[in-house]
Amino acid sequence: MIKLPLLSTVLKNIAKRPATNLFPKTDPVPVPEDFRGKIIYHVDKCVGCRMCVMVCPAGVFIYLPEVRKVTLWLGRCVFCKQCVDVCPTRALEMSDEFLLATYDKYDKKLRWFTEEEIEEYKRKLEEQKKAKEVAKKS
Amino acid sequence: MSDANPTTENVEAQREPTKEEKIAEMIKAKFPRAEVEVRENKWGRKRIGVSVSREDYKPLMEFLRELDPEAHYSIAIEEDLGEELGLATHLLILYEDAPGVSLIVKTKVPKEDPVLPDVSDVYPIALQFERECMEMIGLDFEGAPDKRRLFLPDDFPEDIYPLRLDEKGISEEIVKNAGHPYLLRRGST
Repeated sequence: MIKLPLLSTVLKNIAKRPATNLFPKTDPVPVPEDFRGKIIYHVDKCVGCRMCVMVCPAGVFIYLPEVRKVTLWLGRCVFCKQCVDVCPTRALEMSDEFLLATYDKYDKKLRWFTEEEIEEYKRKLEEQKKAKEVAKKS
Repeated sequence: MSDANPTTENVEAQREPTKEEKIAEMIKAKFPRAEVEVRENKWGRKRIGVSVSREDYKPLMEFLRELDPEAHYSIAIEEDLGEELGLATHLLILYEDAPGVSLIVKTKVPKEDPVLPDVSDVYPIALQFERECMEMIGLDFEGAPDKRRLFLPDDFPEDIYPLRLDEKGISEEIVKNAGHPYLLRRGST
């Protein structure tokens, strides 16, 4: 005598609807509150205290001494939220975004404050400096 | 209030010595040169710390095995202490009635002559930790039945011990980093 203990369950479940989420056709399963997704970096709020560089376990942050900001590469991020918790000015925050697949690991999508933005920011700083000097002279 | 003090003193004097204190006394009596202390953490869990010389290391291990034939050898941790190499062994004994006695045996050997006796005939599992010590920090175990490497790959250089902090340890050239795109782009320009 063969025992088939799952047979009754299987027969019951055949009549039921599938409990799957057909992802590309529908929205993904909604994320919970306080979900740890992609980091958002607000450059203007950053004061360059280097706390995130100290606390990051994965080496996402590089400190830029000449502009006193950080540059981020999320290709290494482990989404531990320690940088968000430690940031005194709330320049970093966690978003709900989790669909982060790319073809290039150094994609713009995974970078914050890239080289071009740094150059632009430097130019802006110099302009501000010049404007201040002009204001002083006059 | 005056008669309250003698009673508390009596309670202190009559207090039953704990298992830890009994074993610490036994070790002190058997090995007068060993440093034995009972520490207590903030949750009230007691642990015996024993520091012994190289000569007393194996007799102490055998003594603990005789004390409790089911002594549990948890782990051995090797350490670079500058001029010396250290080995800390954690044992749990007398654990039939919980909690058992947690015991840490520490030994030190000079770097010029880093040899310790092998205890794998007393605790068979010790061989695994000894093999790890031999490859990671260059602490040799005299008479170990198996001296092959355990974790390091076969093409790893023979004279480098990864956990050493001195010139025999990992050098800057061996360390590799996949690179942050900001630094990579800077290096190329």
